Amino acid sequence: MISVAAKVNKKRRNAVQSVVCPLIFGVALIAAWQTGLLHTLLNTDEYVLPYPTRIATIMSENSDKIMANVWASVEVAVLGLIFGSILGYLIAIFATVFPKYGSGGLTIVSAFNAIPIVALAPVIINWTKDVSSEAEVRSMVAKVIVVTVVSMASMSVNAYRGLTELPPFSDDLMKTYAAGRLTEFFKLRLPNSVPYIFTALRVSVPGSVISALVSEYFAEYITGVGRQIRENILIAQYSTAWAYIVTACIIGIVMYAVLMLIEAVALRKRR
Amino acid sequence: MKFSKKTLAAVIAATMIVSAFSACSSAPASTTAAPAATTTAAAAETTAAGGETEAAATEAAPSSISDSDRIIAAAQAGKVGNWGLGNEYEIFALLTKYGQENKFLSQAFDMDGFDDNSITLASAMTYNELGLVQNSYEGGYGYGDTVGIIDMNNEGVAMLEDNLFTTKAFAEKNPNTVKAFISASMKGWEYACANPEEAAQIVFEAGSSVSSDHQAYMASEVKKLVETDTTGNAVKDYGKMDEAAMQQTLDLAKQYIKLDDSTAADKLQALTLDDIRSTSYWTDALAGSFGAPEKTDVSIQLKWLPQAQFMGYFVAKAKGFYDEVGLNVTIVSGGGDIGETTAVNNGTVDFGVTWVSNLISANAGGMDLLEIAQVYQRSGLVLVYKK
Repeated sequence: MISVAAKVNKKRRNAVQSVVCPLIFGVALIAAWQTGLLHTLLNTDEYVLPYPTRIATIMSENSDKIMANVWASVEVAVLGLIFGSILGYLIAIFATVFPKYGSGGLTIVSAFNAIPIVALAPVIINWTKDVSSEAEVRSMVAKVIVVTVVSMASMSVNAYRGLTELPPFSDDLMKTYAAGRLTEFFKLRLPNSVPYIFTALRVSVPGSVISALVSEYFAEYITGVGRQIRENILIAQYSTAWAYIVTACIIGIVMYAVLMLIEAVALRKRR
Repeated sequence: MKFSKKTLAAVIAATMIVSAFSACSSAPASTTAAPAATTTAAAAETTAAGGETEAAATEAAPSSISDSDRIIAAAQAGKVGNWGLGNEYEIFALLTKYGQENKFLSQAFDMDGFDDNSITLASAMTYNELGLVQNSYEGGYGYGDTVGIIDMNNEGVAMLEDNLFTTKAFAEKNPNTVKAFISASMKGWEYACANPEEAAQIVFEAGSSVSSDHQAYMASEVKKLVETDTTGNAVKDYGKMDEAAMQQTLDLAKQYIKLDDSTAADKLQALTLDDIRSTSYWTDALAGSFGAPEKTDVSIQLKWLPQAQFMGYFVAKAKGFYDEVGLNVTIVSGGGDIGETTAVNNGTVDFGVTWVSNLISANAGGMDLLEIAQVYQRSGLVLVYKK
């Protein structure tokens, strides 16, 4: 009985720590922002950092236009994330099956990840010029490739670990069963890599949003949340730019929350 | 080493597969859209051409296509290019004039898109991109006379560009500094326009972003913009704020600057010329009626990288015109993503060079900027096409 009560207490304390505390911090931050305390602290003015109410007004007044830009960005981020993750996983499998060639490949993929998006995006946009006569299509292709490259690295490295770092006893068990490489792969390596897939996604989901937004900067076809941030800052419309910055944050948070949800469902038997 | 090269190729191939996939997945939408677009373009061409160009069409001389047909055809094909980011309003005004949708392709800061035909009507400044397209010196594309231009001034959609501005607060606090700065700067512009080759050399030596050949070309073209107004008449007073041209700029700005922020949009519509410029400082500066400057160490932020576009300021500094009025001037290069309007507004620099339309949208957004001289008397923006 006592232990159950203690468990409940511990759970409660965890809930306080993980929900209530950040919530209080968030509310306090917004309060400081709205009352101008934040402006004093950061030595800035209400022009460059508009009040939350003004940002909220702009967001509600332009919800249709903002949503259109959100879909344009999310489409790129999600497609790139899917392609990049699949490719990354395939590379990891390749590296597992042919360890001789594979480890070098992984290093190269990681090196790709080190290229800054700002350098990568214009190159890929030039490279994909002949993909389609429609600017909308070729811009989309270019942006998706940028996100793909960025998402690929974390998946390949993590999935490789999942496919190769096996619990010793399971490996031994497989050997005692005289399991073939194929059986070993499907019954042991593949399931073992699942948690690692989520580790990779925790990195690449926020990464995909950021790279989608940045790749929009250089695209021929003008659309997306990132592009709107840049356009508005350059014509000195900081309030509108902030509306899109907040939107970008929401996209990142929602996509991360969706990932957490999927992870909770997918890994529930492992906990 | 061999292995990693192989894997590198595999990685690139894999990426290509992805690109092929994404192209395929978006292809159905584009294939259905594409024929429709071409048919409407063709239809528009025939309706626009009408009966009068029937004869011209039979002659089949490519140079006989009228500007309006070119604009309509390029707009229908979605091949009008502009840099956006506040440079697009004259293009919008032009497209509206010809009944076209206000859309353009995002053009890079080189002319590769024009070169490879992904843009058929490309934006160009007479003093910069047009020179790169026509001339064959380093960085040029060497098209020479095989390209033609559509001039915003002739089309009646000109908006004034490079000006000189500060904040209202700075001008009120330091009126003599402002007047002294205008006086010396305009003297610099006058000298630069009288000696464009020397001015180009001065800019080149001051840390130019482009070759000396291009700098010389730019100086000769900028001279035309500084000394000719939108109607083609000569202007003698450097930095003059022409009422009619300023008003046209403001009117077009109100029509084509679209702001999502309703507060800013309302403010934009309420703006008058008196909210964006003051002629008194310039008048006093040219008359030479000003006292000792209140602030002697001042800075000016350019709209772009150091080039002959801003030669007046470089010449004024090199020739000691600023020293003569007791000013120690620092010229700050532009070209980053922090705009000149923001830099002046938050006091990082004292003066700035921007386009009038950018100043208008900044003031609509809540800044308190004031134009104190209008250096460029006509629009330098043209649309360039291959004949």
